[in-house]
Amino acid sequence: MSGQQITAYVNAMFDVASANDAVAVVEDEMFRLARAYETNEPLRSALSDSTVPVARRQGIVEQLLGGKAHNVTVQLASLLVGTGHVSLLPQVADALVKRASSEKQLEVAEIRSAVALNDAQKTRIAEALSKTTGKKLNLKVVVDPTVIGGIVATVGDEVIDDSVRTRLDQVKSRF
Amino acid sequence: MNVLSIVLAAEDPSQSHHWLFPEIGEIIYGSIASIVIFSALYKFGWPAAKKALETRTAKIQQEIDESAAARRNAESDAANIRKALGDIASERSRILADADAQAAAILSEGRTRIAAEVAEMETRATAEIAAARSRIGDELRAEIARLSAVATNDAVRAALDDRTQQELVDGFISKVGASR
Repeated sequence: MSGQQITAYVNAMFDVASANDAVAVVEDEMFRLARAYETNEPLRSALSDSTVPVARRQGIVEQLLGGKAHNVTVQLASLLVGTGHVSLLPQVADALVKRASSEKQLEVAEIRSAVALNDAQKTRIAEALSKTTGKKLNLKVVVDPTVIGGIVATVGDEVIDDSVRTRLDQVKSRF
Repeated sequence: MNVLSIVLAAEDPSQSHHWLFPEIGEIIYGSIASIVIFSALYKFGWPAAKKALETRTAKIQQEIDESAAARRNAESDAANIRKALGDIASERSRILADADAQAAAILSEGRTRIAAEVAEMETRATAEIAAARSRIGDELRAEIARLSAVATNDAVRAALDDRTQQELVDGFISKVGASR
């Protein structure tokens, strides 16, 4: 059931974003909003709390994204909250990114880094990964403090883990 | 001289008959009347009297027999009671002996069972203590490992300044770029 819902939401969102000629912006903003939803417990609680009126929760979304995100992104996020399916936000966002990437014959590359990356680093990482995988990539960067240091890159089913966290885990496992 | 002579000698000839003896006719009539009366009494009164006496005798005999029977019954009952008392005393002794034997058996069995239970409890407690010791040790080791991991991560994170972070990113790019 949730698979069908996700597909329905993704198709609708993609069509709306395409109609507004904002697919790239909307899928990127939805991706970042999804990551924030995953990692920010207060935000997740506020948007998922069924005891809070829907209008109030939609107000939180509009307050959070208003003026910073595309109007379509705000409306789509608000739609998920309003229909009570905000818990599907991460899956919907990931599927939307994948759909938008496949439209451009791109593969999604999720980059998890302990620190924010500048544009030059993103470009170099995209070039390096494209060179390694032989694919054109749609790079999605997530700042993840649990990585500690270094980068974890996921392209399709392939994971390139050069993080300090993994190195520490390997050292710990030896003990 | 006998008394009759004296009496006859004292008869007064002036009187028509002796003062003591009735006249002959009177004697005859009296005798006949007496005979009739006694005959009637013998014929009609004696059977009734005899029957009454026999009835009385039979009743007394019956009462004597009943008394004797009652006495025999009482003696029999007394004998039975004495026998029952003897049996009760014997049964009482037997029951007491049985109770003593059962009590001794129960006591012995109870002591044996309690000893076995105590031994089992000691064994179980020893095993539980050992398991708890092992579990606590494992939990302690796990907690120490977790705290160590957290401390290590924090220490490493603190040691990674911005320059080092950038070097790690650059290292990743170089490594990925050179891996083909």
